[in-house]
Amino acid sequence: MSERAVRFTKEQIAAYAQASGDLNPIHLDDEFARSVGLPGVIAHGLLQMGLMGVVAAEAAGGPDKLERLYCRFAGMVVPGDVVTFTAERAGPAKLDLRAVNQKGEQVLTKASADLKE
Amino acid sequence: MSASGGPRNAVGVTGRTYPPVDFLIEADRAAEFARTIGADPSAGVPPTFAAVYSLGVTAPQLFGDADAAVDFARLLHAEQEFTWTRHPKPGETVTSQGRVASDVSRRGIRLVSFETQTKDEAGEPVCRSKALFVIRS
Repeated sequence: MSERAVRFTKEQIAAYAQASGDLNPIHLDDEFARSVGLPGVIAHGLLQMGLMGVVAAEAAGGPDKLERLYCRFAGMVVPGDVVTFTAERAGPAKLDLRAVNQKGEQVLTKASADLKE
Repeated sequence: MSASGGPRNAVGVTGRTYPPVDFLIEADRAAEFARTIGADPSAGVPPTFAAVYSLGVTAPQLFGDADAAVDFARLLHAEQEFTWTRHPKPGETVTSQGRVASDVSRRGIRLVSFETQTKDEAGEPVCRSKALFVIRS
């Protein structure tokens, strides 16, 4: 099993925005985020998936082993949240993946990876 | 007929295909991306860099399509799947083409399923991205 706990920060979310090119202001500008009904800036779903992918790759024995990665973005992640990403073998070529915040809520659901045999 | 008189299940832009987009996978850019997700930047292109070279280059075509009329402020990324035939290397140019697999509106919620096929310079498959976007009205 591989596991990693990550404390999300505004700096990390901004760095992901720059590196990914997803500069939607809901990830960068608290005031804008609040104007569209959010509590403030939120993390990109794809940042969460990226972190999940790293833990999955570790459990798989290397990133090249990943053949498929899937998740549902079920919960919002905001700066200060601590999310624990876990990857566990669920078969010879399958991983069960979980991402749970400090309140015990799943922020990614139905997450799984298929691996090259 | 729905109460408003409008269509119950609008087909939106189902089936619309956008022109292919080339993307050079620069080593520096992939390494910077790796650092932001806590991956080893010397270990090559992280698998989820597909968020950039596949989905990232094609989704803006959908979002910028006046006919598709996607309200960015009401958009949620609900689900994502990446399937790789192989993982690309730094220095490769890949070509991605996006297509609206389905676009269905129901009771004020619009679901857009957007698929992207990414191929290498030889035309061989590299990655397939399937994104589900939810747009609240």
